[in-house]
Amino acid sequence: MKDSITLKSKIYTVSELNLEIRKSLEKDYSLIWVEGEVSNFYFHDKKHMYFDLKDERSKIKVVMFQSNNKNLVFDIEEGLHILINGYISVFEKRGEYQVIALDARPVGKGSLILAFEQLKEKLEKKGYFDKIYKKDIPILPAKIGVATSIGGAVIRDIIQVLKHRFENFHLIIRDVNVQGSTSSDEICEAIDDLCQYGVDVIILARGGGSLEDLWAFNTEKLAKKIFDCPIPLISAIGHETDYTISDFVSDIRAATPSVAGQLVILSKMEAVGKIKGLNKRMAHLIDSKIAILKKETNFIIRKRIFIKPETLLNRFNQPVSEFHDKLIGNMKEIIRMRQEKISTCRQLMDKKNIFKKIYMYKMTTRNIDARMISAVKNYLNLSKGKLRLILENLKEKNPVAVIDRGFAIIYKAEEDKSIRSINEVNIDQKIRIILRDGILNAKIFDKIYQKLELGSNNEN
Amino acid sequence: MKIDKMSFEESIKKLEEIVKELEDENISLEESMEKFELGIKLSSNCLKKLNEAEGKIEELTRSEDGKLVTKELDLDKDS
Repeated sequence: MKDSITLKSKIYTVSELNLEIRKSLEKDYSLIWVEGEVSNFYFHDKKHMYFDLKDERSKIKVVMFQSNNKNLVFDIEEGLHILINGYISVFEKRGEYQVIALDARPVGKGSLILAFEQLKEKLEKKGYFDKIYKKDIPILPAKIGVATSIGGAVIRDIIQVLKHRFENFHLIIRDVNVQGSTSSDEICEAIDDLCQYGVDVIILARGGGSLEDLWAFNTEKLAKKIFDCPIPLISAIGHETDYTISDFVSDIRAATPSVAGQLVILSKMEAVGKIKGLNKRMAHLIDSKIAILKKETNFIIRKRIFIKPETLLNRFNQPVSEFHDKLIGNMKEIIRMRQEKISTCRQLMDKKNIFKKIYMYKMTTRNIDARMISAVKNYLNLSKGKLRLILENLKEKNPVAVIDRGFAIIYKAEEDKSIRSINEVNIDQKIRIILRDGILNAKIFDKIYQKLELGSNNEN
Repeated sequence: MKIDKMSFEESIKKLEEIVKELEDENISLEESMEKFELGIKLSSNCLKKLNEAEGKIEELTRSEDGKLVTKELDLDKDS
């Protein structure tokens, strides 16, 4: 390669080369259509879009500037299969070529359908369609606000239905374009105006049409306006088969504008019928209440208790007398028990009297002592006197005196007993003979019986 | 709350409640008479409200100084 350089050979600078390539590519690929799957999507500051478009084997860089992507109705997102219209350019600074996209559309379905689906999914995730946010529609609104085209047939249909249902309704119409680029903004403004003016309910109405015709009702801006609207709102767009985002966000969807007329106000005839029905029901309830009470009263009056009240008393008599008996029985038992206790106490108290008795006995004993002492004294005194007499008597009968008179007393030697008969002693037995001036110890050597005759004097 | 200050919705709702309460067999006669009287008042208020509304069709626009104004509209003439 090196060898083939000649003087004629042009040598580029890098910049020169990239510029040449750019010119060449922009000329040859000035208007191209390319389709593929979006990957590495990057929305820089929500302004310019950068992404790759790829198929099974290859990929190419794509940039879509704000001026071009601002008109897209749908969102370009990862994995989306799209067809791009644009041209090839070279980013010389880096020597990279890329597709400059001027427009894009989804492959397989329409852009609007895709956009509708994307917005619906997005708002659903945000909770815009949640039932908890749905407001109740008043049944008798004093003022009904409608945002629609005054020139259209729709408003006339609504009025027709309203007249049929409720002749004295009050309608406030806010005229808007229901189609075209400004339509969505106009409807948003109309909602604000109706809220500010003060109505009880708002109807958004439009006749049927294509998805494109109805597109004003599929914008995120209007969806947000409806969601934030403080007044109950009915969405009545298109035919029964047409669905718009505003249908989902609104408090209630009317399949057609005529249906909205039916939903927005009750039928006066029906209402009057309902009120009369309620009145009738009330009267009937009162009547039957009175009838039931009458019957109950009669039933009660006929009861035995009112005819013979004493039967009620009798019913209570028996238990009362039984109770009475029981009460008396209990009292008796209590009294008996108390008495028993009292006697026990009394006995105990008697036992306690023993001290008194002891005292009494003591006193008695002392008395007896004194009496005994005096008795003994008396006796002693008596005895002394007696003794004296005895002594005197004795003195008279003193054996010593007898001895003095010449008698002797004989004792057995070993005994102090005097001998009175000769039979009391034996031969050779020792005796003692007591005389006036001494004692003779003697021995019996003979015994002679001889009865001594003595006078009675001797006996004394 | 005074009955004539009550809206149609409030009145009819209350009236329905009263009917339901009257259906309770345990309610006393005195109480049911009171409720009945209130119910009659509510129902006449409902009927009054039904006829009270003014029948008219207006268009809401903004005047030159930006104020909201309404004007009577005769759609049959316009069309």
